[in-house]
Amino acid sequence: MRRLRATLRAVAESILAAAIGLVVAGFILKAWGYSPISAYIALFEASFRDLYGIAGALANATPLILTALTFAVAARAGLFNIGAEGQMYFGALAAVAASLFRLPPGLHLLVALAFAGAAGVLWSLVPSVLRATRGVSEVISTIMFNWIGRYLAFWLVANVLVDPYRAEKTITVLPGSRFPTLVPGTDLSYAIFLAVAVALLVYFLLWHTVTGYEMRAAGANPDAARYGGVRSAGVIVLVFLLGGITAGLAGATQSLGRPPTYAVYSGLPQISNLGFDGIGVAMIGRNHPLGIIFAAVFYGGLQSGARVMQLFAGIPLEMVRVVQGVIVLALALPELLRIFRILRRRRVELGGER
Amino acid sequence: MRKAVFGLLVVSLFLSLPAFAGRVALILDVGGRGDLSFNDMGFKGTEEAMAEFGWEMTVIQSATAADYLPNIRNAARTRAFDLILCVGFLLADALNQVAPEFPDQKFAIIDAVVDQPNVLSIVFEEQEGSALVGALAGMLAAHYGYPYVGVVLGIEIPVLYHFEGGYRFGIDWGLKKYAQVTGEEPNVGLLWVYTGTFSDIAKGKAAAEAQLEQGAVAVYNVAGPLGIGILEAVTEKLEELGREAGPPFMIGVDANQDWMGDGNKVIASMMKRVDVGCYTAIKMVHEGTFAGGVLRMGLANRGVGISRFLDLLEFIDFGVAAGAIGAERRPEIAANWAAVRASLPTWIWKAVDELEKKILSGEIVVPKPATREEMLQVRELYPLVRE
Repeated sequence: MRRLRATLRAVAESILAAAIGLVVAGFILKAWGYSPISAYIALFEASFRDLYGIAGALANATPLILTALTFAVAARAGLFNIGAEGQMYFGALAAVAASLFRLPPGLHLLVALAFAGAAGVLWSLVPSVLRATRGVSEVISTIMFNWIGRYLAFWLVANVLVDPYRAEKTITVLPGSRFPTLVPGTDLSYAIFLAVAVALLVYFLLWHTVTGYEMRAAGANPDAARYGGVRSAGVIVLVFLLGGITAGLAGATQSLGRPPTYAVYSGLPQISNLGFDGIGVAMIGRNHPLGIIFAAVFYGGLQSGARVMQLFAGIPLEMVRVVQGVIVLALALPELLRIFRILRRRRVELGGER
Repeated sequence: MRKAVFGLLVVSLFLSLPAFAGRVALILDVGGRGDLSFNDMGFKGTEEAMAEFGWEMTVIQSATAADYLPNIRNAARTRAFDLILCVGFLLADALNQVAPEFPDQKFAIIDAVVDQPNVLSIVFEEQEGSALVGALAGMLAAHYGYPYVGVVLGIEIPVLYHFEGGYRFGIDWGLKKYAQVTGEEPNVGLLWVYTGTFSDIAKGKAAAEAQLEQGAVAVYNVAGPLGIGILEAVTEKLEELGREAGPPFMIGVDANQDWMGDGNKVIASMMKRVDVGCYTAIKMVHEGTFAGGVLRMGLANRGVGISRFLDLLEFIDFGVAAGAIGAERRPEIAANWAAVRASLPTWIWKAVDELEKKILSGEIVVPKPATREEMLQVRELYPLVRE
């Protein structure tokens, strides 16, 4: 009963936040001489009215569910893993690299996904070990690794995985290791099922297993958890392991399951920012796997609606992004405030430090 | 009387009906507006066509490459556009998928060939313009007594072979012309390098520095944004020499870049008129002559060319509109530019015009290498090694 009430409260908070965001963004649109009404009609009609729109929203949501999980799992355990972005790059590239050889269709997809998960984990390894053994702040190290990863990925695209006939992109993923398109004439692929399944698995792990309980305990009260026998180093490694897998898979959903190219372009234009957007999605979804699924679909709808706002409401991309930013910020605010409250309480408990 | 009123009514109805005005969707890649080059030129050409025909345009910019497909598809689904114009070869894959889904929709793409019956692919004869700037560079080196001319290229992709092949041919032609006019046999070589990047400005600067150090009279920018680095290298070299104006010079590309660097450091530009390409595609739809296929834009239809005074004024305004330079600098830049051009003997400019006329008349055909093998053959034909 208490849990139900808490859930309802969270949902009510989110709806209120969304309303505030829409009103504030509406005033901004109005101030710049655009019609908020036609803008919002374009935004929501395009993304949620028909199958085509919904498919677009779900296609956008697919990678975001997975990168949001990277952040959420860590946040539940009291860690701030900002590294989904870099880990996702290597997931996308490793999945492409699996097309350097040939395997039976289907099996090839599984191998590519395994590559992607492993690559994500590999890229999270150093921050994870540094945190577990030396106590190095994972916030700083994962942010730094995102940048190292970005330029390393540029190099890999241009030199190692490069398509010999088209220097601007990597080799194309073989048809046998692609996610088939789910709704023809849209870019929604079967990868959405992978994303949702992983989210459900993470939910099960966190709330229905001892390990998950220990992870959440470490996040809720690290001292009590340690007193109760939870090995914090073990929790840290596990959190990064899970985060690396989900981020790596997020990248793979893009290189294996997003028409038309099935390759990564130099400069990473299709996948850049999916990791960072995932943080916003995790906040909107209150760091809960089920909340994240809904948050990602909403966010994905916002993205495809944004394209249509240019088309039907004549609003330039820059202004569309302002609107998007305001709405997302408003929605993320309740969770942000909660995190700040926890951080402050922890400081007070530690004493002295202000 | 009644008839006249009725006629007037019909006419005014026609004039007021927006449905008779055409609509164009301009789809840009992630580069978007503000690049002072490709995308801004696409916008410029479309805007000019809109003004002339009284049409309306909708600009759709892509936030990420994942937007290409939905952006083109969304525009096609509205069935409201007389033409969907995709600017840039990065959109080719997405267009190739969407075009067959909407066989009645007219599409055009700039700088790539999409082989669909309802797509007009507009590509450029870069070798023709490159031959002109090559001839200029060769004659410059001989005139100023420099041992080399230079070129800094981006990634080694087939379209860049057009530039390199044309440039080599042009240099060779210019050197022969110089010998013919002056009676002196010039000893000039070519320094060339593929940097492997279209974005690393520092690499462009380093490559240009090396060429200038060896005595290149001009460095041709065939790497888009790397031109910023090349211009920096030229500017620093001039500072070292205690001069304001070249030699050495940069040779600009794509847009008219002559106005960059105060107007006296870029001797000329090989213009690839994306704006003319966009304008032409829209005009074809307007006039009802649109058909799928490949439209090659060369010297003959103003698709490529060497920069001239009118272009300079047009592109100074382009730079002002983009906020890159202040409007008050217009006269200063134009004066600097004119002074540099006037400092060269008139016959050199006339020789460039002569080459242009001969290419236009078909008397001279510039090599257009499309594959590595063909490129190697052109390199063998015009080795341009200093004795």
